[in-house]
Amino acid sequence: MERKKFHIGNLTARHRKKLHIWLRAGIQLICFLLFSSAFTAAFGGVKYIAVQLGAGEKVEWTGFTAALSGLCGFTIVFGRFFCGFACAFGSLGDFVHGVYCRICRKCRKKPLKLNGKWCAGLSSLKYFVLAVIAVLCFLGVYPKLRGSSPWDVFSMIRGGNFRLAGYLPGLVILLLILAGMCVQERFFCRFLCPMGAVFSMLPVLPVFSLSRNRETCAPRCSACTGRCPSDIQLPADGSYETPGDCFQCQKCVDTCPKQNIHCQGEEGLRGNEAWFTVVRSGIFIAVCIWIGI
Amino acid sequence: MKGFGIKAGSLLGVVCVLAGYDGVLAAREKEDEIARLNARVEAMEEFLRSSPGTQAEGETEEEAETDGVYADGEWEGEARGFGGPVSVKVTVEGGKLAQIEVLSAEKEDQTYLSMAEAILPAMLEAQSPEVDTISGATFSSQGLKDAAMQALEKAEK
Repeated sequence: MERKKFHIGNLTARHRKKLHIWLRAGIQLICFLLFSSAFTAAFGGVKYIAVQLGAGEKVEWTGFTAALSGLCGFTIVFGRFFCGFACAFGSLGDFVHGVYCRICRKCRKKPLKLNGKWCAGLSSLKYFVLAVIAVLCFLGVYPKLRGSSPWDVFSMIRGGNFRLAGYLPGLVILLLILAGMCVQERFFCRFLCPMGAVFSMLPVLPVFSLSRNRETCAPRCSACTGRCPSDIQLPADGSYETPGDCFQCQKCVDTCPKQNIHCQGEEGLRGNEAWFTVVRSGIFIAVCIWIGI
Repeated sequence: MKGFGIKAGSLLGVVCVLAGYDGVLAAREKEDEIARLNARVEAMEEFLRSSPGTQAEGETEEEAETDGVYADGEWEGEARGFGGPVSVKVTVEGGKLAQIEVLSAEKEDQTYLSMAEAILPAMLEAQSPEVDTISGATFSSQGLKDAAMQALEKAEK
């Protein structure tokens, strides 16, 4: 009997979906453990630039600006892969949402969900958050508001530092965000993340980001939009209009009944997206080490 | 394509503005430096002209060695940074802070530590550990500052 060579393309759709879920969870866990400060360091770059501009000082090449440039460069090439697979806050959100949904299923209750219309409006809130923080930094007021940053609290807890006295406002905001993460997948990333606002204003090359072959779509099927944490209607192949809110989480890939969704630059890879994900993560880790996170 | 073009254009714009801003500041710094040096040269010429014969006495600056409050030697101190203990070594020479170096900071995040290390030259310049922490790397720089303070407590005469 001839043994079939193991090949991801030969797996059944169900198995492939499982493989993708576990692969993503694994990458998220590794990045959470190793590069949990990538998000705060990159956003530190944004704050640093605003502070220096406000003080009339030179913007020098520091660890923060390096982290910002590195992540922005990565995002321009690969889309918001960082958000979908590597960001500690995003992974936390996925974890909290997953746990909440599982608990609801166990109790046979329908999980609460945010109204779709609200979500569309709330998506612009992150630009406002970014603008407010940038202005506060520019005016030099931000350092005085130290206790109210939920990211500081998060990274303190993450670093095993529990001296949270004076951080009550930040802790309350963090708890509110966690509650939001329960009722809406990627609540923070989509509505509040100021770094996400920066990323979604970047031009993303269409080569490695998700798109769909519109011609073979089943009429009136919107399985991908329904599965998407950002309710995105994916662009057609060859389009340069990569949606700014797409986290490249690739959940839509396995949802499409016709397997129409793929990265534009991997036409020949159909069914083997997992390898491509591994390669991207490898490149991401290399970038992280190179910029010294 | 249009959206992509707009985004690419704005990104390029932001980068150019930042580069230009830095360039202007660098040029201004250079001009200030030149003006300062010119003023010094003029002052010296003036001095030489007004008192020919006498040797330039500019060098007799008061070097009244105040001997400082710190005893010479190498002093080590430790304090809590962001993720764990950080320790520094302060070298005192001639009663002055000559060098401060980080001995260990294993639990600190490298990016943050590299930012926080900017506090070391600031302390040398101020000849005191009482300087502002680095914004953005508050915990790590506070740790370095506390460690230096602890080291200098031992060095106090």
